[in-house]
Amino acid sequence: MHEAEETMSQPMVVEGGCLCGQVRYRIAGPVAPAVYCHCSMCRKATGAPAAVWIFAARKDFRFTGAPPASYASSPRGERLFCPDCGGQIGFAAKTKTDEIALLAGSLDDPDAFPPQSHVMFVNRLSWFHTDDDLPAHDGIRPSAV
Amino acid sequence: MSEVEVTEGGCLCGAVRYRITGPVSPGAYCHCSMCRKSGGGPVSAWISAPQERFEFIGETAPAVYESSSEGRRRFCPKCGSQLTFESTGNPDTVAITVGTLDNPDAHPPHLHFWTSSAISWFHLKDDLPSFEKTPPIGGGKD
Repeated sequence: MHEAEETMSQPMVVEGGCLCGQVRYRIAGPVAPAVYCHCSMCRKATGAPAAVWIFAARKDFRFTGAPPASYASSPRGERLFCPDCGGQIGFAAKTKTDEIALLAGSLDDPDAFPPQSHVMFVNRLSWFHTDDDLPAHDGIRPSAV
Repeated sequence: MSEVEVTEGGCLCGAVRYRITGPVSPGAYCHCSMCRKSGGGPVSAWISAPQERFEFIGETAPAVYESSSEGRRRFCPKCGSQLTFESTGNPDTVAITVGTLDNPDAHPPHLHFWTSSAISWFHLKDDLPSFEKTPPIGGGKD
């Protein structure tokens, strides 16, 4: 346990997990602004029209429940999910090993993380229009997933 | 004679595949927290079809999680993709996630439900009918 350290140096603690609750995680540290991803792989993984991701430093992140299963969705990284309920949790990039991406839907309080941009916008569904004026990029997020 | 409509889809890794033969019911957005915690998306979207016209056709059978006393969610055991929802209250119908369809563009949702649980920042540009809880029968996954 590092509760004292978290309290002193990392005011933000963010928790989340899967639907059945077996896989749980905690981020003790800053979280990079959320982004919508409109790629077809995120759709197939989540079943949703689009995904929303937040990003944390790997050193600030840990699983606090059962370990997730993983699927290497590309050479670039693995998607993490609950083996018991399939709940989609995150993405661990092999190209950026000091960071982990978490799905906003898996957060206990997604309200706290409004997206600040769109990525893979060129792949968005024809009927899925979010009501915002956020910057929209056709490529991937510059520094991560 | 017109050709029978066939709708197919599957999980991210491709191990679990499904096919719907014949028409499907229009899609619906679900804003409930359980859908968020299973799929990880900010919202889910579903189409539905009669069980008798829905079949799994892939090499791998889906895993199942009983998310409530009435609900069963099926997902790929290899990649976790959320695929279907079945309810004991509506046993002849299966709901299918729009995101796992091979051609989701063809299935725009026609209503919202469980908007009382929606994420505060999640807003879409549409004027679709919205329901704070469950929609009318046949309107979506419940």
